Amino acid sequence: MKSYTRLVLPVVFAAGFAAQASAQTIKIGVNEPLTGAFAASGTYVVNGAKIAADEINAKGGVLGKKLELVIEDNKSNPTEAAAVAEKLISGDKVPVMMGAWGSSLTLAVMPKLMEYKVPMVVETSSSGKITTTGNPYIFRISPPSSIEEAAFKPMISKLGIKKVDFLVINNDWGRGTADDFTKLFKAEGVQVRSVEMMDQSSQDMNAQLSKIRASDADTLIVTAAVEQLTLVLKQANALGLKKQIVTTGGSQNPDQLIDQAGTAANNSMHLTTFLPWLPDETPNPEATKFFLGEWKKRGFNFAGSTESFRGYDGIRTIAAAIEKAGKAEPAAITEALWQTEIKGLNGPIKFEKWGPSGKESGQSRPNVYLIKIVDGKVTHPKS
Amino acid sequence: MNEFLQHIVNMLILGGTYALLGIGLTLIFGIMRVVNFAHGELYTFGAYFVYLVSTVIGVNFFLSLIIAVAFGCILGAAIEFFLLRPMRGADIDTTMLVMIGAMIVMQNTEQFVWGGVAKSVLTPFGESTLALGPVSVSWLRVFVFFSALALIAGSYLLINRTKIGKAMRATFQDRDTASLMGVNIQVIYMATFAIGSSLAAAAGALLGPVYVISPHMGDIASLKAFAIVILGGLGSIGGATIGGFILAFAEEVGAGYISSGYRDAMGFLIIILVLMFKPTGLFARSERIG
Amino acid sequence: MRRLLPLLAVLAFASIPLWLKDPYLLNACVTTGIFIIAAMSLNLLLGYTGQLSLGHVAFFGIGAYVSALTSLGFDIELFGGIRVVHEPWPVWIGFVLAVIIAGICGYLVGKLSFRVRGAYFVIVTISFAEVVRLVALNWVELTQGPLALTSIPPFTLGLPGLGYLDLYGKAANFYLVLAIGVVCYVIISRLTRSRVGRAMVALKENESLAVSVGIDVTRYLILAAVTSAAIAGAAGSLYAHYLRIIDPDVFMFLYTVTMVIMVITGGKGTLAGPIVGGLIFGFIPVVARSFASPESQWILYGALMILIVFVLPQGIVPAIERWFGVVDENEGRAKLEPAK
Repeated sequence: MKSYTRLVLPVVFAAGFAAQASAQTIKIGVNEPLTGAFAASGTYVVNGAKIAADEINAKGGVLGKKLELVIEDNKSNPTEAAAVAEKLISGDKVPVMMGAWGSSLTLAVMPKLMEYKVPMVVETSSSGKITTTGNPYIFRISPPSSIEEAAFKPMISKLGIKKVDFLVINNDWGRGTADDFTKLFKAEGVQVRSVEMMDQSSQDMNAQLSKIRASDADTLIVTAAVEQLTLVLKQANALGLKKQIVTTGGSQNPDQLIDQAGTAANNSMHLTTFLPWLPDETPNPEATKFFLGEWKKRGFNFAGSTESFRGYDGIRTIAAAIEKAGKAEPAAITEALWQTEIKGLNGPIKFEKWGPSGKESGQSRPNVYLIKIVDGKVTHPKS
Repeated sequence: MNEFLQHIVNMLILGGTYALLGIGLTLIFGIMRVVNFAHGELYTFGAYFVYLVSTVIGVNFFLSLIIAVAFGCILGAAIEFFLLRPMRGADIDTTMLVMIGAMIVMQNTEQFVWGGVAKSVLTPFGESTLALGPVSVSWLRVFVFFSALALIAGSYLLINRTKIGKAMRATFQDRDTASLMGVNIQVIYMATFAIGSSLAAAAGALLGPVYVISPHMGDIASLKAFAIVILGGLGSIGGATIGGFILAFAEEVGAGYISSGYRDAMGFLIIILVLMFKPTGLFARSERIG
Repeated sequence: MRRLLPLLAVLAFASIPLWLKDPYLLNACVTTGIFIIAAMSLNLLLGYTGQLSLGHVAFFGIGAYVSALTSLGFDIELFGGIRVVHEPWPVWIGFVLAVIIAGICGYLVGKLSFRVRGAYFVIVTISFAEVVRLVALNWVELTQGPLALTSIPPFTLGLPGLGYLDLYGKAANFYLVLAIGVVCYVIISRLTRSRVGRAMVALKENESLAVSVGIDVTRYLILAAVTSAAIAGAAGSLYAHYLRIIDPDVFMFLYTVTMVIMVITGGKGTLAGPIVGGLIFGFIPVVARSFASPESQWILYGALMILIVFVLPQGIVPAIERWFGVVDENEGRAKLEPAK
């Protein structure tokens, strides 16, 4: 049977998708790093996605059919990410995908979306390029640094920031943040002292931090994943660095920081997009509580929830779009994603048109919160 | 000035740990002619073992360091026996491929067992720091620094003052002659690999608590260890020690005064420079070159 | 028979897009093909001169970047305020430049690193690759650094006046990779069967003897390094225009490892070795994906690698040749021939 479809495929490519629609389940492709450098985060996102699929299926699925997640490992490697997209679209015939965590992974998938005209919900990647190069099959629910920057604007005076230093991871994410925030600071009359980089894999940031300690800036902006953030906080503490530390990017897992950096995490501030510590303050308390309950029931550690909620929101967005489209076909889902509006765990998910006109990508505008760790507890200072 | 003093202290502390990473590799490299790609994984193994024994099981921190090193030694001997012994006499690149295979298997086994989320070891030192005027450093790193120095000194004595060390040196200089003189080459090889592995495990056990422990921590450690070894010259413990400090110095100065983006490039640039002017590394005694 | 075999293999490969219609598998064929070309270039160095370069991915990456930048254009300011603006050129010029510039880099690296042998050589080449990666990562103005070069145009085929065809499709790209692979195979096979090749094998077998009979070692080594780097650059160019995005991840150490695995398991110093090894290790991940969990796919990959080296330390192709009693004149004892 399988080899038969393969032979017929080129002839009735479009019909292949129609045949899919009458199948027993609706497939959603999930393209995430499950091994390699980003394995931990990718696994969290997949776990969040599974909760969403199970929740939807328990309520009867979508269009009367169960959702089936086809999860593939892109090995934290762009070549593999593109190959996985190829496999999901042409092998598994998924009409829609979610992925691919890292920006370079997502960028590698994007030409495939154009080729097959299949939409993808981007749950984590933050590179500005994803929504500005003119790929109409991209729908992003994570904030690029420009959204974070806009949200941070009113906080500058409140935090009394006059001069800043940056310490950012040397990739698209870190560099993008440094660029966007520098623009904001210049416009607001804040002086930018130095921008320091750290390699994705480096563990010792003492050299950079010693230099930062010697500068006269009052605030340090840090962009990195949680492992490196832990190290930065510990090493800054050991060096006796006395500056406000604000981290960006929403991948901080403050609980893991408190757990692993101990007292060194105290008084650090973090821009995040999800508030699992204070479910009642989230835009959708009921869903947040359900999600956190499920997360706990499945035995995952609480710290992972700040990463995994994006997988959960991503799948729910896709499910809503399929429902709206009325059929599990790529073109209909792409169309429906523009009209989709759901209450995500971090605010309403609704796509704005970004990028060159005529082939805009979708970008949702999530809430951004500034939290502070005080005495080993996460607090959300009210504005 | 204060910044400069801090950079010097950072360099010393970092250099000590780099040296420890380098000596295990240089011994194996020099004596066995094996490019040990599993070095970083033995380092990771040491780190996870300390986590297992001290944080999961709850044994005393200092005792668990010793246990981790002992198990690193056993693992090294096992790798030598099962993977390297059958490859004796094969080309350097064929043996290397076996070690790359071992690296892939070990790294993914670690990921399978522990998951990708980084682990952190709680130490009796906590976050307390030692402040000396403008210079500040955590007590844990002071402890790690002196432990590293002690291990380096111990290895030096082992090679230069003991009978097995003498046999190792003889094997390094000329394997066939050493064999004719009654040195049991098989035993020497196993001892060398086991010692090298326990040094890697010791480095991981000491540095794991300083940093965070993840399945990929070995990649960067391997790369640095290779750089150190080439700077110091193959098979030279003294060379690897100084190579470690040179690398640390280059990185500190590079990040502090040139550009932090190129911090990790400094070490490799130095290697290329060294090899242009002194192709055997700074301290090697002999290696045939073309 | 031996002469016929490569021809039959090419015909067999050429028939693949006719019966294999699954785009995912065809995609795997194209990427595997690109890595096989890279592995063939590594084999020239490792298999015929005995020098193990673990920085081979540097040439692959340089080829990818040169080709991508030539076809995308750039605008940079060098030291001293000199502004260099480059307008986009056609892709095939990018390909040619990729080959040339990778070859020049091969010359420079060869000059530098052939001063050392064995383990030192291995480390110098790793260091070189690492430095190149860090330059690609940090020279943001030129390479876009980690922001990646995107929208790289695909290869175009055609003649002036006859119209052009963009090679978006997998089958078209497959034939392109196959054609370039065949050209590279012919170049390597010509080179190794010539006097140059015999000199290379001679100095691999016994360098001091080769020197004593008057073979100019460094010259031949550098010739091998340049050819090898140029072919790796061609593979890199194919990669850039096929994947259509590159970032510093193209210098991943894993890619070098992939090439080394292909060469050694297939049989270094044999023309067919990298192809056989490449087919096996290119498709293990594809096959393993269907039944194993992500980590165990890797564990399987590593274990299989060790197993092949254990059972067939010379590689698969020499073992098959022994089985059938065929011995290629190039793989027999090295015949020392004084250079004239």
